[in-house]
Amino acid sequence: MLETRNLDKSFGAVHVTRDVSLKLERGERRVILGPNGAGKTTLFNQLVGELASDKGSVHLAGEDVTALAVAKRARRGLSRSYQKNTLFDGLTVEENLGLAASIHTGHATTLWSDSLAKPEVREIVQDVANQVNLMPFLHANVSEISYGVRRQLEVGVALATRPLVLLMDEPTSGVGPEMAKGFHDLLNNLPRDLTLLIIEHDMDLAFDVADTITVLNYGEVVFDGLPQEARGSSLLKEIYLGSWEDA
Amino acid sequence: MFRHTPLRYATLVLLASVALFRVFTAEYFGLEILTEIFILAVLVLALDMVAGFGGMVSLCHGALMGVGAYAYVMLSTIAGIAPPVAMAGAIAITGVAAWVIGAICARSHGIYFIMATLAFGQMAYSYVFEAPIFGGDDGLGGISRLDLSFVGIDLSDSRSFAFFCLAILAAVYGAAVLILRSGLGRSLSGVMHNEQRMRALGLTVWRVKADVFGLSGMIAGLAGVLAAQHIMYISPGLLSWTVSGEALVVVILGGVGTLIGPLVGAVAFVMLKHELSAVTTYWHLVVGCILIAVVMSRANGIFGWLEDRWGARIDRRAADATRNQKTEEVASDA
Repeated sequence: MLETRNLDKSFGAVHVTRDVSLKLERGERRVILGPNGAGKTTLFNQLVGELASDKGSVHLAGEDVTALAVAKRARRGLSRSYQKNTLFDGLTVEENLGLAASIHTGHATTLWSDSLAKPEVREIVQDVANQVNLMPFLHANVSEISYGVRRQLEVGVALATRPLVLLMDEPTSGVGPEMAKGFHDLLNNLPRDLTLLIIEHDMDLAFDVADTITVLNYGEVVFDGLPQEARGSSLLKEIYLGSWEDA
Repeated sequence: MFRHTPLRYATLVLLASVALFRVFTAEYFGLEILTEIFILAVLVLALDMVAGFGGMVSLCHGALMGVGAYAYVMLSTIAGIAPPVAMAGAIAITGVAAWVIGAICARSHGIYFIMATLAFGQMAYSYVFEAPIFGGDDGLGGISRLDLSFVGIDLSDSRSFAFFCLAILAAVYGAAVLILRSGLGRSLSGVMHNEQRMRALGLTVWRVKADVFGLSGMIAGLAGVLAAQHIMYISPGLLSWTVSGEALVVVILGGVGTLIGPLVGAVAFVMLKHELSAVTTYWHLVVGCILIAVVMSRANGIFGWLEDRWGARIDRRAADATRNQKTEEVASDA
């Protein structure tokens, strides 16, 4: 469903991603681990096209999308959520989801009629609000909801485009343990045919939802395998998991 | 996202009532001032659509108004096309010109967007100023108004023309509300709030900006057609950046991103201009001081200040109601 071949990105003398090749099957849930500065978010930016790669290619559902702009990749089914909330402040939760749904349904540029009143848009809004537990907050303004609920909305907005592949950059970033537990359920309840690529520091969540795990270190893929293999990897313990297991 | 509030409805009804009353009762000079207000209001509605709801602060809307005026005169007077068709043609030409400007400038933001639109406006001004076909500095005259005699309306009469302009203003306001509440308007609002996210969701951002800029340009072109019919003479000064600057002052004075604020701003600006210019030739100084005071007050213009006051009063009432309810609960528990 999503494949990268030899992706590379440098900022001056700093080599941020090196020769990154990944292959995700349809419905696969892969978690990307790695210490701070490993190049995880840069890789996401390269995947969605927000950052041009120095070399390598990105393939979505068999199509080479490397040359496509961000919006075109998104319309082909590549959606992402951000580590920091990038919501539409001043609008309601429903309007936030509605904006994404209207783009997916082609109502984002309709003139004279309200896109949010379209049945297909409303259906997606309701569906996603149910999936990410936002129904009680549907008519609340984004400024009125808690940080944790905003994290749910961040994922919800990305989901409302009905993506083939959803990239989530630390979905539980900054939320408490109770809320993080809610995210486990949220992610596990997403449709099984949706391909997920998740950057996560929460190891419990990572091993709970992941079918496969990729570890980046200094921009390189140093591990690619099953969660149980990751747990036993001495290399991982050395570069990342040591501190987790000791804790 | 544009929403009507009770205060906005009330202001709208008040403005419409006063305007109608004055159209029926004013004398010749009063009608001329009213018509000037209505035409300026059409222009600033166009500007508020892009500046207030899309973050596209344009300094070429005066030039777009001029393009509409010149296109109407060229089509009706030079090409001999019937005024209604010429009017539609002028609006379409301005819309296309605005769409192209919007498409080119859409990739820039803030000061760069302002400068890019200013450059387009000045290019149009210079061309019209120099080109003999447009009459150069002398401008063009002999402009005819629409002929509505088939419905018994004589637009050569100042009162009828003022009423006609008011009707157009009402229609433009309705269209602006519809556009801002449409899918396109919602997308524009999303782009203003978070352009990067809208792009990441799959929206072709430049296209949305260009489309709304084109629609806004059509409205500015309509203001130009009305201005040409009002004065029955046009000159390159209509395309000058000072006209765009004045329109921006009116929008800021009234309240950016409120639609109704610019209407209030148009009334305030034209009234100030006429009242103060009768007293002093330095009336711009006074308007400048008022604008500085409005900006320094941190309120969103005159109407924004009213909305803040109104909102504070509603909040206070809600807090009082909650406090009273809790007091009653405590009393009943005791």
